[in-house]
Amino acid sequence: MKKIIPLHTPFLAGAVALLLSSGSLQASSDNMHKLYQDNCASCHGSDHGGYLAPALNSETLKGRSPTALRSLIMTGSFETLMPPFYGRLSDNDIRSMVKHLQSTPKLDNPPWTIKDMQASLKVYVKDESKLPSKPTYQIDSMDDLIGVAARGKYGRGTGSKAVFINSKTHKIVGEIETGTAAHIIDFDPANERWAYVKTDTAEIFKVDLYSMQAVRSIKTGYNGPSMGVSRDGNYIMAGSFVPHNAVILNADLEPLKLFELEGVDPDGKMVTSDSGMIIGTPYADIFAIALENAGQVWVVDLKDGFPVTKIKNVGRHLHDAFLTHKGRKLMVASYDDSIVAAIDLEDRKIIKKLKAGCVPHVGGGAAVKVNGRTLGFGTNFGTCDNNTVVSVWDLDKMELVKQLPVSGGTESPAAHANAPYVAVDVITKDRRARTIQLIDKKSLEVVKTLDVGGHAYFPEYSADGQYLYVSAGYAGDEVVVYDSHSLKKVASVQMESPAGIFSRGRVKYMTRGLSPDEME
Amino acid sequence: MNLRLLAAVLLTLMFSSATKAASIYAGKAKAAAVCAQCHGIRSTSAEAPFPPLAGRDEEYLEMALKQYRDKTRVSDIMNNIAGSLSDRDINNIASYYSRLKP
Repeated sequence: MKKIIPLHTPFLAGAVALLLSSGSLQASSDNMHKLYQDNCASCHGSDHGGYLAPALNSETLKGRSPTALRSLIMTGSFETLMPPFYGRLSDNDIRSMVKHLQSTPKLDNPPWTIKDMQASLKVYVKDESKLPSKPTYQIDSMDDLIGVAARGKYGRGTGSKAVFINSKTHKIVGEIETGTAAHIIDFDPANERWAYVKTDTAEIFKVDLYSMQAVRSIKTGYNGPSMGVSRDGNYIMAGSFVPHNAVILNADLEPLKLFELEGVDPDGKMVTSDSGMIIGTPYADIFAIALENAGQVWVVDLKDGFPVTKIKNVGRHLHDAFLTHKGRKLMVASYDDSIVAAIDLEDRKIIKKLKAGCVPHVGGGAAVKVNGRTLGFGTNFGTCDNNTVVSVWDLDKMELVKQLPVSGGTESPAAHANAPYVAVDVITKDRRARTIQLIDKKSLEVVKTLDVGGHAYFPEYSADGQYLYVSAGYAGDEVVVYDSHSLKKVASVQMESPAGIFSRGRVKYMTRGLSPDEME
Repeated sequence: MNLRLLAAVLLTLMFSSATKAASIYAGKAKAAAVCAQCHGIRSTSAEAPFPPLAGRDEEYLEMALKQYRDKTRVSDIMNNIAGSLSDRDINNIASYYSRLKP
């Protein structure tokens, strides 16, 4: 039986109250504000400033036809994550929402303080010492776990969960409901039993992988995808788009220090900033965090007071990054000037800015050893004239090796030391979005295109490199598994709108494609 | 299936060999583009108020889509969506969804 959750019931009541007490425009606006926060904000931003999805405010929607907006809300938007709200919101609510959106300016960043975080901490398992001492399901090695961020069709509800799969049998071994869409899964490098799941609305769940249950959760902001775990597993750092801050938590998810993200950008302007990637490294007891708008990378030492070293002028609109050279070097993507900056985390300096394609988005990045060279692969969101490419760099010499033509914009590469191909997901919004392309490691050319169905993205290899997992997200509702050599489809795992895929093997090889030997 | 429809189907079958066999592949592509957003492929979202289509009777699906298209069955949303489908699309979609295991 399907369970329909009447999300809008309180608003119907509100609407009735409104009819009875005429002239209370304020009440209507409050209702719409809540309706927006409950249904739209996790993707469009609680400040109406956009997040995974476009900004919806009086400025961005100026001149748009209310009828067209209404029908877009009703039917959803194909080839995007926008779900159909027909039947979930009443027609009146949808009409009022269009009015509300077209008359609301982008709001100021709402505050979310340490106190708010502390108040949001939930403890599901009081006594962790009573948890089982080994996995309660059959698995050869915990590295075989693959976690999938299942968004759920509406980005919330019972379809939203972190799904864990045994990548040898392709069977689901655990599911953690997350309330809103799971976005990022990070594994504790020091203790195989823990994982951390962050949602689109910035809740972090600490998950016991042995018993497959959440033990605690905390809300660290309104949104923002970034999260990192320190190499000793003692600290978690999470950053937000709304508001502009980042926080260090201990392993019990208790907030220790809040950082306001602001600084002078490469054009000399003082700005507050979204939090880009946050990464822990096997190299040192530090976190690195990218300040998207300020164009800075901050290195936080995990010692008394958590001192910060600021590396400025890294690039315009930083986003994500990957590690190389045992975690000493960090490759940070800069959207607006189409470079990837190489940073030395020991010297805390920019080594070099390397040319990328258009709007580089490196995802988790990929690096492979070929003929003695360490090659890094960088995907690019953007498509540009004659230059829709995946960038390949020599990470030892820090120079561009090749701009490798692909069929469209890409957002995440997967590689494995034991697999012959680097997989990239094509995201250009037409039939190409159903495909991933496979690049031969040696020839550095696309040798095969796979039609995965749905909106194919976030490829990931199993820890042993035998299987390639790909989300057929949006309309596909399955994760498709291929043999990494023959590229034959071997399994399909059903779930609602799967997105990011995270192998626990990543903690062994740091960056996908490298061999664990290089970590020793 | 009413008589008019039956006649129409028979006529198409007689005059166009291309529609003799519905294409589940074409149906799959069309379903992904038009139906799956709400009705899912094998199942709908646990949160969605839409009925799943996988494994439903082929004739029923075809009849329902045609009724939505000619507005003998009224729905704000389905009248518009079915209005964009050709006979062949409907045939393919019904053939595809009816053969899917839910």
